[in-house]
Order: sequence, then structure tokens, then C-alpha cells
Amino acid sequence: MLEGKFDESTLLKKIVDSIKDVVKLCNFNCTEHGITVQAVDDSRVLLVSLLVGQTAFSDYRCDRDVTLGIDLDSFSKIIKSANNEDYLTLLAEDSPDSVMTIFEDKKKERVSEYSLKLMNIDSEFLKIDDMEYDTVITMPSAEFAKIVRDLKNLSESLNIIVTKDSVKFSSDGEVGSGSIVLKPYTDMDRPEESINVHLDNPVDLTFGLKYLSDIIKATGLAGTITIKLADKTPALFEYKLDVGGYLRFYLAPKFDEDE
Amino acid sequence: MGVKGLNQLIKEHSPQSFKEFQLKNLFGRKVAIDASMCLYQFLIAVRQSDGQQLTNEDGETTSHLLGLFYRTIRLVENNIKPVYVFDGKPPVLKGGELEKRLLKREEAQKQIDAIKDTGTVAEVMKFEKRLVRVSREQNDEAKKLLELMGIPYVEAPCEAEAQCAELARGGKVFAAASEDMDTLCYEPPYLLRHLTFAEARKMPIDQITYSEAIEGLGLTKDEFIDMCILLGCDYCETIKGVGPVTAFKLIKEHGSIDKIVEWVESNPEKTKYKIPENWPYDEARQLFKKPEVTRAQDVSLKWKEPNIDGLIEYMVQGKGFSEDRIRSGAEKLKKGLKSGIQGRLDGFFLVVPSNKPKDNKRKLDAKDTKAKRGKKK
Repeated sequence: MLEGKFDESTLLKKIVDSIKDVVKLCNFNCTEHGITVQAVDDSRVLLVSLLVGQTAFSDYRCDRDVTLGIDLDSFSKIIKSANNEDYLTLLAEDSPDSVMTIFEDKKKERVSEYSLKLMNIDSEFLKIDDMEYDTVITMPSAEFAKIVRDLKNLSESLNIIVTKDSVKFSSDGEVGSGSIVLKPYTDMDRPEESINVHLDNPVDLTFGLKYLSDIIKATGLAGTITIKLADKTPALFEYKLDVGGYLRFYLAPKFDEDE
Repeated sequence: MGVKGLNQLIKEHSPQSFKEFQLKNLFGRKVAIDASMCLYQFLIAVRQSDGQQLTNEDGETTSHLLGLFYRTIRLVENNIKPVYVFDGKPPVLKGGELEKRLLKREEAQKQIDAIKDTGTVAEVMKFEKRLVRVSREQNDEAKKLLELMGIPYVEAPCEAEAQCAELARGGKVFAAASEDMDTLCYEPPYLLRHLTFAEARKMPIDQITYSEAIEGLGLTKDEFIDMCILLGCDYCETIKGVGPVTAFKLIKEHGSIDKIVEWVESNPEKTKYKIPENWPYDEARQLFKKPEVTRAQDVSLKWKEPNIDGLIEYMVQGKGFSEDRIRSGAEKLKKGLKSGIQGRLDGFFLVVPSNKPKDNKRKLDAKDTKAKRGKKK
């Protein structure tokens, strides 16, 4: 039996909204520690890894591990009907055919119940080992989102070059080119506004802006984003959930001609 | 042409080897395309609204060039690198099949002559399509066009499909692309179908993984080839009355054509099948097992910038295409070539196939059908 109650429905809404454009169908794996999701887009370029820890729920119990195969489009429509402040509870049997979603208004005595049929999703699992990264950047998530949106107007690729004292984002397209350079910066009063760069080795990587635009849909989940980069290796973009857990994206870089 | 019913057999017995996806998912891949097959398709399919082939002012057919030009650009725009493979001389055994095709064409010509005055346009057109064949000149024109476009091509010593498979096996390209299921007998790691179909048909790409296909059928490589011969290849006849289902069963039971022949001949009372006289199945088998190909390591493939001036001279002045369109097409080729190649995660992370506990299986299957039913509504 799975029973997980969120104090506010917005968290789950935001999570589903940030991954439903990457993958349509995914398995929610529920264990006593919380809910995890791992899913890759069709072309295997972008991977989503989600952990909603037990602490993110106001009530949580999961007696036996349960896998919920969910069609995110339908699920997102259902949870959109909840008001943001409503309690949201997920309910499922031990070997479920469907998952029940319950919204409760905090003031009025209104209770809404929705049941969503589950699917048997045959998903491959990618084994991700802990990697050594050359560079770790932490910055305000909104600032990263703006950079991606702005540079997307110019080209399909975003180049990120990190050197000892700066991070340079640039894109070069047919109509013109643009670049944004950031320097490490510490804001004592509002630490979430700081830009922190930890550098072991300089990196120069290029990513598809199409995929980055999908990643920044998670901006609302966290005030900061952590970007981990290493040469010729998938980058890790991480949004930490304040209440416990994370939403991570692994994105394969673009290469120049291989010959 | 084409092994009858193989598609269906594979779909039924090893669904996991069959994948459907959109063209854009193939980005970054190199593919070897059976050129003769796709030129033929273009000649059939690329037509004016009245059903006539496209021609230039002098009345020379240009359907194949138009098809080749635009479909290739579409591939390049999706970041796919195509290499075209042309047929060489046909194997001796194919003589019978080729003769049959010639007869069919003559037959169609007779039909046209017979109904020319009385038949409707649609009727005449039906027979006219049966007349279509790719001429040597058209092959040469296609090669010239590819060269100007900067797209590599390979001239196979013999069958193009075999060469495509060899390139894929040797790691020069990711997959062989052909509509002909015969190609699987040459063991390409992946076979792609519908790659050069028109975008308007919205046909998803089929990808067949060879190793999974034969594993699902429960056949060895040799058994698989024997089964394809029973189903009907270009090289020899089949046993009359043996369709896909029986062929699969016979191979499963006996293991090879030799054993089947032995069994049929020693039990004439038990079976209605008749083995064709002087049946060259073993020669056909050898053609699949040891096809005449140029080894992959001896082939070098280079994708170059298109020769815009050359394209304009050839396509616009020679073949009557519009200059604007050729220019914008060439721009797209250039752009597709320049943008970097998107990497894939499976090159970095180990893919673990989902293996669900067996005892759970029935329940999951039941759930699956339910879920599907639920979706349909």
C-alpha cells in the first residue's frame, strides 16, 4: 500500500510539468524512502532522474515497493485540476491497476478524487556511476534559464567555456552571435543569488539548446541550479528540492565531426 | 522481390527486435541506402498530378533526380549522413528472376497496347507503372547528382543490399536501409525501412535489430537464411504450397533445407510437397553467406560541401529545375553538414534492459491489455 500526502499540490505539479516534455511515459518507483523516477527521451540524449524524498511529504507510507507506470500527459491534466494550496494524496494498492489522486481543500470540506489507469512501461535503465567532473557551477536557476532562452534565439547550440575566472556561454548562428560571461560572485545577504565556480580543469562543451530548453522548465523547483561538467562527458544539471530530493538532468554533449 | 511474409514472422515472434520511430531520432547516424531500390521508388512515386513522370523540356525523366535531391536533403537536415550503394552486375542465379521481371514488363506493355484506345487513364497508368525500371543512364545521373551534392556513394561489385550490410557490419555506417527484407540475410546489425519515403506519408521508420530478430525466432544464422530461401528470394524458386507459417515450422523441425529435402523425398506418402527439380538452393545460400562485396575497411566515405555552381549547371540548366530551389537545397546541405553531432547517453552509461521478475509477468501482461484498452477509448 502506498500513501503519500503532499502539503501543497504545487510541488508535484511543477515536477510533472518539468519532465512531461522530455518523456511521455515513465515508471514512478515507490519505496519506503520516497519516490524515484528515471527516464530517457526517445533519442537517448537527455535523461531525467528524480527523487522525491520521504521528507517532501507530510505523510508517507509505502509498505512494499510499488511501480506506477504513468502516462504523464494524462496525469498532468488530472493534477492541474487541484488548487495550488490543496492537500494532494497519492494512493495505490500493492499491485495496482490504477493510482488514486485525492485533493482536499484546506478551508472548505471539498474532496476530489481521480483515478488514473496505470500502464506497463517497458523502460530501459541506464546505470549511472558517480563521475568525476572538471567543473561545478552553482548559480541562480532563473539566471541560467534566461541565458538559455536568450541565446536560443540565435542558434541551435550553446557553447559553455569555463576557465579559471569566468564562465562563458555563447551561441553562433546564421543571423549573428551572442555571448554572456559570468564571474564568480558572492551575495552575503542573499546567498541563492551567488555564483560559485569550482574548477579542477577548464572545459569547453557544446549542448543542443532544444534540450536545454526542456531542462529549464524545472526552474520553478529550486532557486539555484548546479551544473557539473567534464570534457566529452554528459553534463549534470541539478535542481535540489528544499523539502528533500532532487530533479537531475543528464545531457549528452554535441561533438564536432568525428573523423 | 522481397522475402514473403518475413516481416510478419519477425513481428510475431520477436516483437522486441522491431522498433518504430521518427526520422529525427536517427540524428548523428550514418546509413547505407540501397540506391537502386530507392531510385525505383522515386520513378514510381514522384509524379505530377496527372500521374505522368516529371520531365525536363526535352522530355527526359527527372523524377528520380527530384526524389534523390529532396529526400537526401531531408536526411541531412535531420543530421543523418547517407551513403548510397548502387547495384553492380547481378549474380548469375538472379537471371531467372530478372527474366521473369522482363516478361512481366513485356506483358504490361502488351496490356497497354491493348487498352490504349479503350481504357481509362487510370488503367493505362497502372500498367505503365509496371514498365518502370531504372535505366543505366538514370543510375549515372543519380551518381553525378550525388557527387555534386557532396554525398558519397559506393558501387557494389554485385548486390547493393549485400554491400549495405557489409558497410554496417564493418562499422562504416550504423545501419543498412532498404525496403527489401532480403537484406537481413546478409546480417546487418540493423535494417532500416521507410527511410526514403516521402515526408507526407508520415510513415515511421522501422528498425529491425538482426541479432534480436533471429533470437526471437529461435533460429541460427544458417537456419534463418534457409528459411528466407523457402519464403522466396530472388535467386531460386520455392517449394510449392509452403508459405511463411509452414516454412518456419519446417525449418524449426528439420533445421535445414537439406534435411527437409531428405525428409520429403523419403516420405513421399506423408507429404504433398514437391521439391523443384535441380533446385539451386545451396548456391542461393552461398550468395547470402558469402556475397561478393567490397570489404568495409577498403571503402572510405567522405561527406563534402556541395558544389553549388555544379549543381546549378547540372540541375537548372541541364534538367530544368528552378534555380531558387536548388540554391536553398544546397544551403540546407551545407548547414546540415556543419552543425556538430549530438552525442547519445548510451555511449556513456550502461543500458540495463528492464528485467521484470517472471512470476510477476502474467499480472503485468493483464495490466498491459487493460491499460491499452483504457487508452483506446
